[in-house]
Amino acid sequence: MSYSTFNRKHFDSTKEPMFFGENVNVARYDQQKHPIFEKLIEKQLSFFWRPEEVDLSTDRKDFQRLEEHEQHIFLSNLKYQTLLDSVQGRSPNVALLPIVSLPELETWIETWSFSETIHSRSYTHIIRNIVNDPTVIFDDIVTNKEITKRADSVSKYYDQLIEMVNIYNTMGLGTFNIPGKGDIEISMKALKKALYLTVASVNVLEAVRFYVSFACSFGFAERTLMEGNAKIIKLIARDEALHLTGTQHMLNLMASGKDDPEMATIAAECKENMRNIFIEAAQQEKEWATYLFKDGSMIGLNAEILGQYVEYITNVRMQAVGLDTHFETKHNPIPWINAWLVSDNVQVAPQEAEISSYLVGQTDNSLDDSDFDDFDL
Amino acid sequence: MTSTSKQTSLQRSEKVHRVLLGKQQILVTEDEPLLAQLERAGIHVEYQCREGYCSSCSIKLLWGHVSYPSEPLAWVQSGYLLACCAIVKSDIEIAFFAN
Ligand code: FES
Ligand SMILES: [Fe+2]
Ligand SMILES: [Fe+2]
Repeated sequence: MSYSTFNRKHFDSTKEPMFFGENVNVARYDQQKHPIFEKLIEKQLSFFWRPEEVDLSTDRKDFQRLEEHEQHIFLSNLKYQTLLDSVQGRSPNVALLPIVSLPELETWIETWSFSETIHSRSYTHIIRNIVNDPTVIFDDIVTNKEITKRADSVSKYYDQLIEMVNIYNTMGLGTFNIPGKGDIEISMKALKKALYLTVASVNVLEAVRFYVSFACSFGFAERTLMEGNAKIIKLIARDEALHLTGTQHMLNLMASGKDDPEMATIAAECKENMRNIFIEAAQQEKEWATYLFKDGSMIGLNAEILGQYVEYITNVRMQAVGLDTHFETKHNPIPWINAWLVSDNVQVAPQEAEISSYLVGQTDNSLDDSDFDDFDL
Repeated sequence: MTSTSKQTSLQRSEKVHRVLLGKQQILVTEDEPLLAQLERAGIHVEYQCREGYCSSCSIKLLWGHVSYPSEPLAWVQSGYLLACCAIVKSDIEIAFFAN
């Protein structure tokens, strides 16, 4: 079945499953099958921010004063974040838009992906500010072995789903011989399974991998270093909290069978598989921690502590999608991270204050004569 | 003015419930969500948003009743509560991890 950008069929989109039903036609939000996605869109829109609003002038000086191994930690972490958001800025769109069937979910996917592009833009803002030649940093993301290893694991499921959906959209169902890849079976079940595992791996990307990187960013800020960077990461973390809620809803809705009964069976069959995605990712993140701290640790953070945080946060996230926890670590080894993650104390820079007062100023247009009734002239 | 608001808050605080957590027992009111009251009792609870959209503060509700003034955006697993926005409505028992 090939994709149509405007499905001509007349159908009730509130009766469609989240994925693999009809292609969406009218983008309407007055009625929703799953109102949660509409709520996520509204919340995400209310979070809108721009990297340039955050002043990074002291970060440059801070960075120059860091020890060499600390610069390695900071830059490697930033490269990893850049990789993750490069993937997230496009993949939900490329992988999920061709198969989504609900207007509110379609728009959530687009809104979600769009916010990732803001994250990517903020890394350029940060990198430009601390080094003279950003190309050196960006190039290393595609050549550095430790980073490319991470790229493989975060893009694997997306790429597989995209490939299968491409075949499905051109050839339909069946078994197809793809040059260089051998026989690929395209059945509804295989497609749905690939989808479920992709959403699980995206949840791991945003809810586990990203939080490990946040811990490093805030590790510097705990020592009052790179605080502009931490401000940006706080804004990114606020968005990610919403994104991970989005994938948790998708996974839990799928597993419940309330959205698509066949998906419940698939979720049950994939449970072990999903567990392993979490456990493997945690293992990879621990290896990454070893690479980060290979030349020395920082005050308050080293490979061991970060490894414990990986285990702890993986437990938290596994539980949120209905899995039993896997690791022994049941306490947060870096409880100070929560005070950084919480968004209500994101400091407002003077230029932000100006922008918000500019927006607020617009409401003055709605004043009418009755507003002046109390004035005695 | 001041005395009126004081009176109201006293009245509201009358509803006290017990929260059992392992061997600990914490007394809470219905005036504010569980999270802040656990924190004041010196208990660390994972959190991020503190307004119901990140699920970080999800903890196991073994028995008892809680309610949410408005429906949280985060998915609430059955048998769990979101500490940042849950109002305790009866004596309850909680645990940090299910297994
Ligand atoms: S702290 Fe985010 S849902 Fe409770
Ligand atoms: Fe992101
Ligand atoms: Fe994200």
